[in-house]
Amino acid sequence: MGPKILTVDDSKTIRLIIAKAFKSFDCEVLEASNGVEGLAIASKEKPDIIILDLTMPIMDGYETLTKLKSDPELKGIPVIMLTAEAGRENVLRIAKQGVRDYLVKPFKEDVIIDRVGRVIDLKPKGSTPIKAKRFDDPLTILVVDDKPAICEQIRAGITDTPWTVIGRAQSGEAVDFCSQTLPDVILISLSLPDGAGFTLFQMLRASAKTKSVPVFGLCVKTTVDEQTRAQQMGFNGVVTKPMDMDDLKAKVARSLSLDTSYKYFQQKNGVLLVTLPSTFGTNVANEVTTHLRAKLSEAVDAGLDKVIFDLSALKTADITLIKLGLDFMTLCDELSLKQRMIGSSVVSQECKKYEETKDWSFVSTFNEAQAVLCGKELIAA
Amino acid sequence: MPTTMIQDMDDLVRAAINEVFDTMLNLKLEAEPPGTELLNGEAHIASSVGFIGRLTGIVYIYSTASFARTITATLIGLEESDIDGEEMVNDAMGEVANMIVGNVKSRLSDRGMPCVLTIPSIVRGSHFTIEAVSSTERRVVSFKCLKANQQIVIEILIKLEKSNN
Repeated sequence: MGPKILTVDDSKTIRLIIAKAFKSFDCEVLEASNGVEGLAIASKEKPDIIILDLTMPIMDGYETLTKLKSDPELKGIPVIMLTAEAGRENVLRIAKQGVRDYLVKPFKEDVIIDRVGRVIDLKPKGSTPIKAKRFDDPLTILVVDDKPAICEQIRAGITDTPWTVIGRAQSGEAVDFCSQTLPDVILISLSLPDGAGFTLFQMLRASAKTKSVPVFGLCVKTTVDEQTRAQQMGFNGVVTKPMDMDDLKAKVARSLSLDTSYKYFQQKNGVLLVTLPSTFGTNVANEVTTHLRAKLSEAVDAGLDKVIFDLSALKTADITLIKLGLDFMTLCDELSLKQRMIGSSVVSQECKKYEETKDWSFVSTFNEAQAVLCGKELIAA
Repeated sequence: MPTTMIQDMDDLVRAAINEVFDTMLNLKLEAEPPGTELLNGEAHIASSVGFIGRLTGIVYIYSTASFARTITATLIGLEESDIDGEEMVNDAMGEVANMIVGNVKSRLSDRGMPCVLTIPSIVRGSHFTIEAVSSTERRVVSFKCLKANQQIVIEILIKLEKSNN
C-alpha cells in the first residue's frame, strides 16, 4: 500500500479533483469535508500528508491546523494548505502556521502532484508490474534531441520490437509530453544548447510523475565531460553516438527489468532448451546470466531433469561464451540437471584449446542431444 | 465610486476568470463586446460569491446549464453522462465562482481593500435576471468559449463603502 493523502475540503469538487490528480499513483486518497472530520480521520488513519483547505464551515483550516500541531501524534504530519485567496496577508498568516507548503486555487493537477511529491514518495501505479513486462511488450521511448536524424536512427534500429519512439526537439516540448503521457524511458541529448539536457533531467527527477522513469543521456563518444556530468547527476546511463542499437535495447531492457528470458529459454519435448542467438555478445551473455539460475531452478521445480544448451548459431567461441558455459555447467551440477550442448565443429574445436573447456562435448542437433540425454547412444561431435 | 476602481474591478474579474478557466479547465475565453448579455431561453445557472469589506459586492457567473455540466465533467475528470444529478454541478460551479472571486479578493487585499467572502450559492432557471438596487454599480462582462461554443457572463454588483477618503 502506498502513502495516504488526506484531503480536507468542504468542496466535493476539490476533493474529486485531488483524488483524480493522484489516481495514477500508488497511494490512497482519504477525504474529509471539514476540519472536525479531518482531525478524526487523521487520528485514525495517520495520513502521510494532509491537503487542507483554508475556508471551511464547522472548523476552518487555521483552527484545524492549530489542533493538528498541538496533538503530539499528529503534529509531524506535513500539511499543504489550499486556498483561493493569495493575498500577501493571507500567505504570511499561512506561513506562520507551520505548514509545509501552500497552494493557491486555481491550480494545475501537475502542480499539486509536484508539491505533494516533494514531501512524500509518490510512485506511479503499475511501477511494480512494469518489472514484469516482457521485452516484446509495447514501450514508449521519448527522445529529446534537436537532431531529427537521431530519432529516425533509433526508430530504424528498434523495428524488431513493438516499441514506439516519440521525438521532441526541445525540453519544454518534452515536459509537455510527459505531462500528458508518461514514457517508459527517456533519452536526452546532452548537447542541447545551454545545458538544457541537464536542466531537463533535473526537472524530470524533481517531478513525482517522472522521477522513476529511467533517463539516459545521448552524446558523442568523445565528450567525456558531458558523460561524467551525466553520471554524477544520476542519469541511468549514457548511450554514445554512433549508437549501437543492441546496446541501447539492452540498456532499456535492464533499466526496466524487462523479461527477456523468453528469447533464450523454452521448454521443448520435456527438455529445457537454452538457445544463444547469432548476435551473441556481452549484452546477450548478461541477459542469459541474469535469468539462468531462475530458469534452471524453475525447470527442476516443474519436474524437468534435462537441459540442452544450443550454441549452434554461434560462429566462434570467445571468453564471454566460455564464461557463460562454465556458469551453465556449474548450475546444472548444483541442480542435478543432465545437460548436453549443441554446437558447430568450429566452436567445438575452439573449446578444445582452453583448459577449462577442452572436455566439453557437442552434438549437432536437438534430436541428437535429446537422444543422448535419454540414455541412447552418444554421437560424438 | 471612482471610475478607475470600477475599471479595476472589471480587469480583476477578467483576469481571474481567464486564469481559472485556463488553469482548471484548459479553456481559453475571448471577451465579447461590452453589452453582450446571456441570452435567455435555455436553462441556465448562476453561481455567485459575495465579498464584504471596504468594497462590498457580489459576483454572478452565468452559464447555460449544459455548459455547467461540461465544466463540471472537465473539472473532476468524468464523462458528462456520469454526473450524478444537479448537486455535483452546483458544487463545481460554486467552486469555480469561489476561485474567481477568491482571486479578485486577493488582489483587492493587496491594494489595501481587505474583504471576506461569502459562501457560494447557485441560482437555476431560465428567463431570470438579477437586478441591482439604485445605489449599486452593475457591471457585465461577457466571454465566449470558442472551443465549447459557449458563453460565460459575469455580472458584478458593487457598492463602495462610504469613507472619509
